[in-house]
Amino acid sequence: MSSTLVSNMKYSDSLTVVGISICTAIVCEAISWLLIYRTSSYKSLKSTIDKASKKLETMKTTDPNTATTIKKSKTKKIDRVESSLKESSRDLSMFKFKSGGVVALVLFMVFGLLNSLFEGKAVAKIPFVPIKLVQKMSHRGLSGDDMTDCSMAFLYFLCSISIRTNLQKFLGFSPPRGAAGAGLFPMPDPKSN
Amino acid sequence: MRERKSVKFNLQQQQQEDQNGHLSPFKLANLFDPDASWDKDQLGDILHWIRQALALICGLLWGAIPLVGGIWFLLFVVLSSGIIYGYYALILKVDEEDFGGHGALLQEGLFASVSLFLLAWILVYSLAHF
Repeated sequence: MSSTLVSNMKYSDSLTVVGISICTAIVCEAISWLLIYRTSSYKSLKSTIDKASKKLETMKTTDPNTATTIKKSKTKKIDRVESSLKESSRDLSMFKFKSGGVVALVLFMVFGLLNSLFEGKAVAKIPFVPIKLVQKMSHRGLSGDDMTDCSMAFLYFLCSISIRTNLQKFLGFSPPRGAAGAGLFPMPDPKSN
Repeated sequence: MRERKSVKFNLQQQQQEDQNGHLSPFKLANLFDPDASWDKDQLGDILHWIRQALALICGLLWGAIPLVGGIWFLLFVVLSSGIIYGYYALILKVDEEDFGGHGALLQEGLFASVSLFLLAWILVYSLAHF
C-alpha cells in the first residue's frame, strides 16, 4: 500500500535522491573514519589545535590591572601560540587532503550515477522562484521556463550539505573550532571529501 | 542593568576538568539555567542543534500548509536567528564577548540549517501537493 502511495506521487524520485544521499554520507564518513579519524596523527593534531585554541582564548582575556606592564611579553606569547595554531591547522588540512581522495572518488561516482538516472528530469518542485545565481544549479539540465522545477543536482547539493554536516557533527568529526578556515559558513569538512 | 557573565567561564571550565582532561557531562537542566557555566564548544553545539531543529520544524510546516514564495525563506532566517539570539541573550544571559561576539554565536549551524530547511520545505511541498 505504501509503495503504491509513493509511486503515485509525481515527485517520488526526490525520495530516491535523498535516500542515496543518506547512504553516501554514511559510507563517506565510514571511509573517512577508516582513513583519517582513527589514526593517531589526526588525533594528536586535533588535540594540539584544541589546546592551542583554548590557550589563546585564555591569553587574549586581558586583566586591566596589569595590561600595560605585561603587554609586550604577552603579545609575543600570543603571536607564538597563533603561529603554532596556524601550523597545526595547515598540517591537519594537508593530512586530510591526502586521505580524502577516496571519498572524493565515491562522491564523484554517486553524482555520475544520479546524473545518469535523472538527467533532464525534474525531481521536485521548489516553492519559490530562486535567484538567478541559484537557478544555474536548480534548473540544470531541465527544459522549459518553469524555474520552480528542481533538478537532481540542486536537491543533491542540499542533501549533501545538510545531511553530511549534521552527521559529521553528530559523530564528532567536525573540524575543531580553533582550526583556521572554520569560516562564516561551515560546510561539511571539505578535506574529507 | 542586565547582569552579564564575566570571563569566569574559563576558571569554571578548568575546575570541571577531571584527571583525564575531559569536561564533566553536560546536563539537560543547564539548557534553561542562566547560572550555568558554558564552554565555548558546548554553547556552540547547543545553538547548532537548536537551529537544525527549527529548520526541520519550519521546513515541514511550511511545506505542509503550504507556504509559497521567497518571503517565507527570509522569514525563516529572521525567525531562527531571532530565536537563537533570544535564547543565548535573554534566557542564558551569556556575555557574547566571551564567545566571539554576536556574529560567532548567530552563525553557528546557520548554513546547515538553511540547507536542511530548504530540503524539508521542498520535499514536503513536492510530495504532499503534487
